[in-house]
Order: sequence, then structure tokens, then C-alpha cells
Amino acid sequence: MSSAAANRRRTSTHLMRAALAGAVVLGVGLAGLSSAAADSASPSPAAAPKVLRIGMTTSIDNPNMLAVNSAAEWGSAVIQYDMALKFGPDLTAAPGLATGCDPSADKRTWTCHLRDGLKWSDGQPITSKDVVFSYNFVRDKQFDYFNSYFPEGTTFTTPDDKTYVWHLKDPGIGPMRPAWCYIIPEHIWGKYANSTQDQIKAVKLMPNVASGPFVMTQANPGQNWTFTRNPYFWGTKPTYDQVVFQLYTNQEAMVQALKNGEIDIADGFDGPLLPALGAIKNVAVQKVDSDFWVSLAFNFGGQGPNSHPLPALKDLNVRKAIEMAIDKQAIVDKVYPGAAQPGETIVRPLSTYWHLNVPADKVISYDPAAANALLDQSGYTKGADGIRVDPKTGQPLHITLPTSDDVNGSTDVGQLIRGFLKQVGISVDVKPTTAAKMYDLQQSGEFDAYVWYWSGDPDPNYQLSVFTSSACDGDGHLSDGCWKDPAYDALFAKQQTEFDQTARQQDVFAAQQYVYDQIPDVVLAYPNYIEAYRTDKVAGLVATPAKVGYLTTSYDYASMVSAHPAEQPTTTGDSSSSGGIPTWVLPVALGAIAGGVFAFTRRNRKGSDEFERD
Amino acid sequence: MRLRYIARKCGWALLTLWFVLTANFFLFRIMPGDPIGLLARSTRLSPEALQQQIHLFGLDQPLPQQYVTYLRQTLSGNLGVSIISGTDVSEMLGARLWPTVLLVGLGTLIAAVIGVLAGIKGGWTRGSGFDRGSLYSSLLLYATPEGWLGMLLLIVFAGSLGWFPAGGYASNSGSGAASVGDVARHLFLPVLTLALGYVGSFVIVMRSSMIDVKEEEYISTARAKGLNDATIRRHHAVPNAFLPSFTLIVLSVGFILGGAIVVETVFSWPGLGLLTYQAIKDQDYPVLEAVFLISSGAVIAANLIADIAYGYLDPRVEEV
Repeated sequence: MSSAAANRRRTSTHLMRAALAGAVVLGVGLAGLSSAAADSASPSPAAAPKVLRIGMTTSIDNPNMLAVNSAAEWGSAVIQYDMALKFGPDLTAAPGLATGCDPSADKRTWTCHLRDGLKWSDGQPITSKDVVFSYNFVRDKQFDYFNSYFPEGTTFTTPDDKTYVWHLKDPGIGPMRPAWCYIIPEHIWGKYANSTQDQIKAVKLMPNVASGPFVMTQANPGQNWTFTRNPYFWGTKPTYDQVVFQLYTNQEAMVQALKNGEIDIADGFDGPLLPALGAIKNVAVQKVDSDFWVSLAFNFGGQGPNSHPLPALKDLNVRKAIEMAIDKQAIVDKVYPGAAQPGETIVRPLSTYWHLNVPADKVISYDPAAANALLDQSGYTKGADGIRVDPKTGQPLHITLPTSDDVNGSTDVGQLIRGFLKQVGISVDVKPTTAAKMYDLQQSGEFDAYVWYWSGDPDPNYQLSVFTSSACDGDGHLSDGCWKDPAYDALFAKQQTEFDQTARQQDVFAAQQYVYDQIPDVVLAYPNYIEAYRTDKVAGLVATPAKVGYLTTSYDYASMVSAHPAEQPTTTGDSSSSGGIPTWVLPVALGAIAGGVFAFTRRNRKGSDEFERD
Repeated sequence: MRLRYIARKCGWALLTLWFVLTANFFLFRIMPGDPIGLLARSTRLSPEALQQQIHLFGLDQPLPQQYVTYLRQTLSGNLGVSIISGTDVSEMLGARLWPTVLLVGLGTLIAAVIGVLAGIKGGWTRGSGFDRGSLYSSLLLYATPEGWLGMLLLIVFAGSLGWFPAGGYASNSGSGAASVGDVARHLFLPVLTLALGYVGSFVIVMRSSMIDVKEEEYISTARAKGLNDATIRRHHAVPNAFLPSFTLIVLSVGFILGGAIVVETVFSWPGLGLLTYQAIKDQDYPVLEAVFLISSGAVIAANLIADIAYGYLDPRVEEV
């Protein structure tokens, strides 16, 4: 072989070796930097701020509180802002910025009093003018999520800096149904008085100005959001200096983050991950009582020209037979194992004060034999194909059942219902559909029944309102299937004008019982919301509502104020987890890679020699 | 001749881009469902506010007028606002662009370098232990779903061993080396997943080309002339065998801007892929339109670059 050829071959080998080494060095470089970062990211305990890290599965797409939409955005609003009267331990009215409100004799005027010494996070004083500005601002700019708590015709006045007054057109409970409207500073937002809602939603304020225990000081879109302690917060000083919301777009990753100590609290799991959470040491799980319910809604028709639901569904006996034929416990066990309860009434269990536990003697139990008997008695005889026929119309009892994709397990629920109803001679055609398409169907009334969901407010008024006759009027109507019942409308109106909370509770119970008996919807299940936290890292968390509620920020920031680092742990969360790459890994990896490159090039040379010998 | 070739290719690229723009417009308008109405339900918009939203998004205009407005706004760089958050779509894309380029770009680069080198060696030494090992490994990796592989790496290296974070782009907002290291620590597992996911195709394509080229007569001629093996491989085999791999690399570069939806979702990496996933989940059509436009535009541009480069790499192409 000539020396020139040998040189070329050496050059070629060197190039190949260099290229391969370059690629692997990129990878090793990443690992090396990673290792360095793990070391540098551990400042000395004395200098480190106390940071509470909360994993979230939803994002804060717009940090502006007035653009709130996702669960994380609501959490962001809750930790930063106050309501005038807030949701207490049972989600009824409790002191917030205001200590309380006094009604006039005719219950048309409610006078409310602010606490002393309130300040915004920029040091400016909080006055009653800020409260009234906030109420008027969300009404004028049509931030409908916040302004639906003010009865039509309500006006507000501010006799002095510490007092604001609700003036109602009709006697009512006014502020005692806590207006879920956060108080914003007039000296910041007042300059947008002439802006449109969309211009207001585009406003960026960083750091934010608010009254709560923490204010947002940094937003990294799609990653994390940092809230820093508000030095002017009026309540108890939080132990933590910062709270960070960290986004995880899949729940399994959030489990791993909790396991390796990357986060202290994880907010928002589905039931199937309960076993994985249970297997991690020093992790406590909070099954939050359901704040929504999965429903089977019947259509009564009348929404529009294309609404032709199955007429038999207007027959209470048919609806009752369907409810009796559905095994709700089986739905819970199979679709939401360990993380749901069978459904009953239309006010979710999380509103502990208002939710009715249906008395045992009034419960419609799972009993397919009784369901068959009821349908037989009502004249719905079975045809040759085993499907019952409506004696009035001659139509077979065949139900088209869309299931919405924004409800976890909705199609599984639909398939189970299909099986249950087949046993009583009713056929079901399950149609999985998108939520947006479901909205179209709901508006046009082009369905027999559907599986969707409802979530309500802490106060039951909104949830009860969607079953009133007026909820079926006009575009954008809320009623599922346009059920109209004057007796229910009267019950709804009564609870709205009852001033005594205990008496109102009974009215709310009566309304729930009425809907339960009339069955415009079958409440199928109450799925839990699941949170988990590291007991060796954080302590002092409190649930809102008490015991059965959220540990994070869904309705109140109390838990973020009371939380504190746990006592120095004697063990780590998981025996196998650690804080970065062990020091032995890098030299071993480098050695292995160097060996690989060497072997590669040697074999390459050998292969070439063999080729030349061919 | 060359200018005419380039002009023709540019013309086709522009025509394709117009087609993509048009498809992008109509695709989201023929999809069933009403996302604004759904949003109105969940945020309790009054009928008046709902009409305002419909007007804001121009959905109360006749379809041809909406189309003209869409073309005019898109060509002037106005991609609209998100239905869900009300934020500017261009701003949202801008924030997600760099993380995606970093992740998918690095993953593609590592996979391409390792894959092409392994393919060269495997093809040149066909039937050797190295060839069999690299081929079987490549087929295995090629057939492995990226999501599954990512979850496996996540559970082992982030959860059980705790060596890497379970997700995100960075833990802190520090600067300098600490910040770079922090990002690198978050980047490692997703890049590894992507590189492992992509490397198989590079190995297989390059190996196949090398095997074909190795049988060519000019290789035999070169051997007959007494050239050594390395010279033949380097100067005669690889340049001719590289063209299919070059196509694959350029097309992969085009797909970089499309993001890696599965890997970004598994590792909560705040790139365009994750934005696409979230926009699909939320039915945020303005964001989806913008993401589709960007990713399609990138693929069209990559194809154009490949076509033009072919003209230089293989002059025979211009004659076709």
C-alpha cells in the first residue's frame, strides 16, 4: 500500500472518528451540563428562599386575571386576589376584605364594611371605591363569569372609604351569596375604563398588583409561573417566600416529579394513577369531593325545527325505568375505579352545605326487574327484536346517545348504559362526539339523550338555574333538554328570595329532590379530583371546603398561607430518588463512549482491510 | 438553465403555500362544532357577549370575505388572537419557537450524524457483526413508539433514579452557565428520546444506499485501479450513496418547526408540538391554523432547499 493511500485512509478514519465523537460529545455535554446544573441549582439552605412548588396539568395561557379560563388560571386568581366576602370552610359566605354585611329591614339595601389597614401589593390603600369599581367594571365590560352574581338593577354606593352598599331592585340576599368577583385596584385598571374587553384581556401586568398573599412576579409561558409573597398582605404572613406553579402536560410525568421531589404538591390526577401514587413513600393523597357530575340528560324537544327527540322520553315512567336500569355503582367501579361516587342530585357534593343526600326511602335504586315491570305496566311491550314499542306512537324505544369527549370515560359510560338498557328492552346507539359538536346538538336539540357534565359554583343558585324553564330560551341557552316545569321554577325562585340561610338550605334541598324525582337528567357519577403532596416536604395544608376539599387554590388561598416546610425528614421520599446525576455516572459514561468509539474505528479498519483482501 | 430551474421550483413552492393557506382556512370552518359557543357555555357569556366574540373573530362575515381577510392578515403577519386566552397568536408562537428548534434540531442532528455514520459502516461491511447489530437495533428503535420510549426513560431516569427532571424547560430563571446547565438537564431525556426515535431511519436509508453503491461498476473499477478501501468509500461510494440520506435530513429539518407533539407532551416541553396538542384539546382554531401554517411552510421551504441543492449535488436532476 502506498503511503499516500495509507494517509488518506487514516484521514478518512480520523474524520469518521471525529464525526462520531462529535455526536456523542453533544450528548455527553448535555449530561455534563446537567450534572453541573444539578450541583449549581442547590444553593445553601440559609440563602435559599422557601419555595412551594405545585405541579399543575393545565396552563396559564394569559396571566391577566380578567381572562381567566383554565383551572390553573383560576388558581392563579385565587392566590392573588380577594373577594369582598369569600367562600368559607363550607363554601358559604365568610369574611374576606369585608368583615360582613348588614341588611336593611326591607332587604333591599346591604351595607358592608371593609377591614382596617388594607393595602395593595404596591402599598396603595384598598378602599371601598376599589370594591365598587371592580363590580361595575366587570359588569360594564361584560366579564360575564364575574358579573352573573349581581341581580339585575343592582347599584352600589360608597358612603366612605371603608363602607360600600348594595342597592337591590327587589328584596334579596345580595352579598350573602358571595359575589365570585375578585377585587381589583382602581388605580391600575381605571385607566382602561374606555377600553374594550379584548383590549383589557391583552393587558400585561408584571409584577401584578393584588391584595392576596402572593402576587405573580414571573411568567414563563408553557412552563412555570412564580408568585412572590405580598409584603402588604392583610392576613397571616405566609411561611413560603414563593409559590411556583409548574406545568406538566401528562399526569404520569407529574407522578414522577412528585416521586423525585421536583414538586411538593401535585394538583389534578385521574383515578387510574391512584395505585402509582399509593406506591410512593411519604406521599399523601387527597380525594377531593366532586365539583362536577356526569349526567345522562334527556331531551324534551322544542329547541328548534330540527329537534325531534324520542317522544317516549317525556313519560316519567320511561325515565324512571331507565334510571332504575342503570347500575351507577358499576359505572363508578369500571370507569372511575376508586375515584368517584355514584351520582344523586344536581348540586355537587363539594358544596357541602347545599348538597342533598337523598333520603333512603326516596332513592331510586338499581333494579332492572322493577324497571321492566314498570315499562310493562306502562304499556311499552317488547317487539320481536326485544325492543319495546311506544304504545302512543308505535315507535321503538331506540335512543341515539352522543357522548362528549371533554368528559373522561364518557364513551365507556355510554357503552355501559347501552348494556344496561338492553336488559329492559331499550336500544341505544352510542355516538362519541367532540365537545364543540355537543354544544351544537344541545343548542339545536338534535338528540334523544346525551352523556355530558355539569359543574357548578360553591353557591347552588347557578346550578339550579340551568333547570329552570327560562334556561331554555334563546340562543346560547343552558338547559340540557329543555325540561320545563312551573313547579320547579317556583322552587327555584323561592330559594332566591329566602334571607335566612338555614331556611334557604331547605329550599335548595327541596329543589334538588324535585329534580331527582322528575328525572330530566340522571346524575350518573361524581368523579373525584385528586391531589397529592409530599408529607416529608410540606405540612400545614388545609382543605377548602374543610376536610373534603382542595388543598391548593381552587376556592381559597388559606392552604398557601398555612403551609410550611415539613420537619427535617429522616428519609427521602423514595429510597431510590435523588437530586441529580451521581458523580460516578459521568466518568463511566465517558469511558464507555470512548471505548465504543475506539472499537468502532478499529473494527472499521479491520473491515476495510478484509475488503481490500477480497 | 439553472435560474429557470430555481424559478420553476420557487413557483411550485409558492403555489403549494397558497394551497396550504386555503386548505388551512377551509379545514377549520368545515369541522363540526362551535368552539366559541362552547366557550360561551363554560364561561357563561351572555348572548350579547357571544355575538361580540363571533364578530371579533369575523365569523359573522360571508365566507368569501372571511377568506380574503384571512389571506390579507396572514400575509401581513397577523395570525389573530387565541379563542381561549385572548392572547396574540404570533406572540404565543414566538415563545414556543426556540424550545422546539433546540429540542427537535438537536435530536435530529445527533440522530443524523450517528445514523449516517453507522449506516455507512454497516452498508460497507454488510453481514458483519456491527452491521447486524446496528440493523437490528435500528429496526427496533424505528418500530418503537416515541411516546412509549419517552415514558420509559421518564419513569427510569426521572422518577426512579431521579437523575433528570420529569418535565419542563428550566427550573430557575438564573443566567449564565447555571441557566444553560439547567436547560441542558431538562433537555437531556427528550433529546435522547428523539435521537433514539429518529436514528433508525437514518441508519436504514444510508445502509441501503451504501449496499447499492457498493455493487456499482465504478467501485469495481476503482478497486481494479488499486485504490485503497477507505479512499473508494470516501471519494466514490459515500458521495453517491448520500443523496437519499440528504433528502431525509433536509425533510427532517423541515419538520423541526412542526415540533414533536408526542415527545413534547410526554416531557412537558414548551414547544410548538405541545402548543399544537393543547390547541387541539381546547379547539383553539386560530392557534391551530397558525401552527399548521408554520409547519407546512417549513416543510415547503425544506423541500425547496432540497430541490435546489439537488441541482448542485446531481446536475442530472435539472434535466428532469
